[in-house]
Amino acid sequence: MRPFAGLLLAAIRAGRGRAFPLLVLVVGLLTLGEIERTPLLNVREALFDQYQRQMPRARTSEPVIVVGIDSQSLVKHGQWPWSRDLVARLVRKIQAGQPLALGIDIVFAERDRYSPEVLSARFPDLPPDALATLPDPDQELAAALNGHPTALAVIGLSTPLPGSTQPARPLPEFSPANDLEAHLPRYLGALASRPLIEKSAAGEGLINASPAKLQTSSERGVLRRVPTVATINQLPFLSLPLEMVRLALGGGGVVPESGEQGMTAIRIGDYRLPTQANGEVLLHFGRASSNYYLSAADVLAGVHPPEIFNARFVIIGFNSTGLQDRIVTPLGESLPGIDIHAQVIESLLDGHALQRPDWMALAEKSTLLLGGLLLIATIPVLRPRYAVLSFTALSLLLLVGGTLAFYAGQWLFDGASQVLLLAPVFILLLGNTLIAADSRRRKAESQLQRSREEAARVAGELDAARRIQMGLLPDPRKIFADETQFSIAALLEPAQAVGGDYYDCFLLDEQRLCLAIGDVSGKGVPASLFMAISKTLTGTLTRRQGDLGLAVREIEQELNRENAESLFVTAFIAVLDLASGDLEYVCAGHDAPMLEREGRLSQIDTSNRGGPPLCAAGDFPYLAERIRLQPGDRLCLFTDGVTEASNGAALFGLARLQAAIQAMTQSGLETTATALRDAVRQFEAGHPPADDLTLLLMQWHGPLSER
Amino acid sequence: MMNLPTREQAGVLIVSVSGRIDHTTSEEFSKTLDPLLETCAQGHPPVLLDFAGVDYISSAGLRVLMMASRRAKAQQGAFAIAALQPLVQEVFAISRFNLIVPCYASVDSACKVLGS
Repeated sequence: MRPFAGLLLAAIRAGRGRAFPLLVLVVGLLTLGEIERTPLLNVREALFDQYQRQMPRARTSEPVIVVGIDSQSLVKHGQWPWSRDLVARLVRKIQAGQPLALGIDIVFAERDRYSPEVLSARFPDLPPDALATLPDPDQELAAALNGHPTALAVIGLSTPLPGSTQPARPLPEFSPANDLEAHLPRYLGALASRPLIEKSAAGEGLINASPAKLQTSSERGVLRRVPTVATINQLPFLSLPLEMVRLALGGGGVVPESGEQGMTAIRIGDYRLPTQANGEVLLHFGRASSNYYLSAADVLAGVHPPEIFNARFVIIGFNSTGLQDRIVTPLGESLPGIDIHAQVIESLLDGHALQRPDWMALAEKSTLLLGGLLLIATIPVLRPRYAVLSFTALSLLLLVGGTLAFYAGQWLFDGASQVLLLAPVFILLLGNTLIAADSRRRKAESQLQRSREEAARVAGELDAARRIQMGLLPDPRKIFADETQFSIAALLEPAQAVGGDYYDCFLLDEQRLCLAIGDVSGKGVPASLFMAISKTLTGTLTRRQGDLGLAVREIEQELNRENAESLFVTAFIAVLDLASGDLEYVCAGHDAPMLEREGRLSQIDTSNRGGPPLCAAGDFPYLAERIRLQPGDRLCLFTDGVTEASNGAALFGLARLQAAIQAMTQSGLETTATALRDAVRQFEAGHPPADDLTLLLMQWHGPLSER
Repeated sequence: MMNLPTREQAGVLIVSVSGRIDHTTSEEFSKTLDPLLETCAQGHPPVLLDFAGVDYISSAGLRVLMMASRRAKAQQGAFAIAALQPLVQEVFAISRFNLIVPCYASVDSACKVLGS
């Protein structure tokens, strides 16, 4: 299952997700070309039928009257077939009103049952005299038909049956273009009326219909198309209703219009109907009406005045349960077959039929191809929301376009099949878009997860580094817990996890206390590594080298040895003689510490011998300076994290530091250090610290001997 | 990218620097300054940074100046700073950076010395 799914996915995504949809589009085009053989035909016909239901042909005039041999007529005049003299009476009644043409949708193929020969054959005992006086019904009918524009029905047969003949009244003038006859329906024989009767009629018309093929056995064929012209043994015959119109026009010629694919229209006099290649008309059905149906019994009884038939077409046919053939129309109505004849005549007089010329199939293929290519071009670059919108819009365009084409000119344009054929193309394209979006989202998620893990790992390592760095710094409360000659308090807060500041305080020997504070340029990890080295070197070299100036020079030399990043350190290193209060110090580019003596503040003078930061110049000859402290003097060493703390507008500065120290002269060193830090943080008012903040406070209490 | 307009005066290439040069801008300052230092060599005009527009400089900024000065020295070119604001002047004084990079009170006075 998995490899199959993988294969399918790969197929969908091939060619940036366009190759597979293109293939499906080609298959769709082929399907559209062979639609007659696919179930899609049902969709197409349902769509076209739907158009007719929504917009049936308006039946404004009623040029046709149907005289139906209905149940009432059968009750009154007995079972069918009636004797032909009765039919002749019916014909005469109608012709009294001088109709345009009369069509009889009945084939009088055999001898009438009431003809004298038949009667004598059946009843040999009848006296010949009596028989001789009897009228011949066939003669009666022939006489009634004679001299009027009357058309009889013939039924074309594709295989000659017993009794099939060649009808006697083909079209007198019919000149089809070359090859056209090959497109028309051909019959080998026909079921026609007896020669006596057909010769007295003015014309004969076919009544074959061509209902759609049955798709399933339970479905009744729907009549959508009717033939206009066909040949019987190469002789042309019109359909019955058209033959009636031809006779009404004086029995002139019929002109078929044709193109390369076959017939395109049929013209009778000034009337014209567009046809399919095989001469069939796609009938646009109107709603059924019973207005123009008359009962044969009523006509025979003279209920209607003869004028009712004047200037109308009249069709005699069956309209009775049991006799009639019923037809199902696209409108969903079940009509007697004669109604179709009436509708054909109406259509011809209006020149009105559904149009589906040969080029329509080409137009449909073109729109399918165009729509498909449009989808393939646009969907992959659209967001899913707009992709769905664009497909919906395209589908609507096709369906609405088809409806409008029908509305405007009864053009049959099949948009529904195209939408169905475009749907798989769209689904594949959208699927690919969604797959791509999903994989992007997954990728982004996993990337986010990875970066989170990375951040957590770095944070963990930084935390460890911070603990190690803080561990490098001495805790004066612990190491000088019992010290009475001096007090020390220290505080260091890095701006980031780790920092570049450091301080140190240790006894060189019993007499001498070393104090150091430093600030590596920059912040963070690089600074913190350099800080560790600086702090260690300061501790080692001040212990080893008696001269502080030389010690500082050695520190710089050692630092310069491995300083690829060109970092530098500002530092203030001092050594206090605990017995005398002598303070020896070297300042390497660092802020001069504050000295508080009896409530007054001053800054230790570093202007004479102070040098640049360590590693800045590289070979500066640092020299130590000296001052003498008095018992009770306090020193405050600090880094620029204090003086350059910012509130966004101004820097904390030396003056604020001095004021803060001044306010705390009576407090212990620990308290003072915390208070100074708090003053800085309060000043920053939530602004992130610009730099590491370090404070180292020392108070000398005086020599032991004096106390 | 930091904007460093240059002009030439009395045979000295004057680079006008402005704003705060702290931890966040020092990297950019360094990168922008770098191509200008290409020509800071023997036989080329001295490079003078006009610091009149600089409000603040942190140790990271000082490091950029130190590196620039070293490079100039290695190329035997002349590199200096002029017209420091009081606050920046104070930083230079405390850190003794005036011992590392020559500082002049004004561009004119610097040009007099460097241009000769």
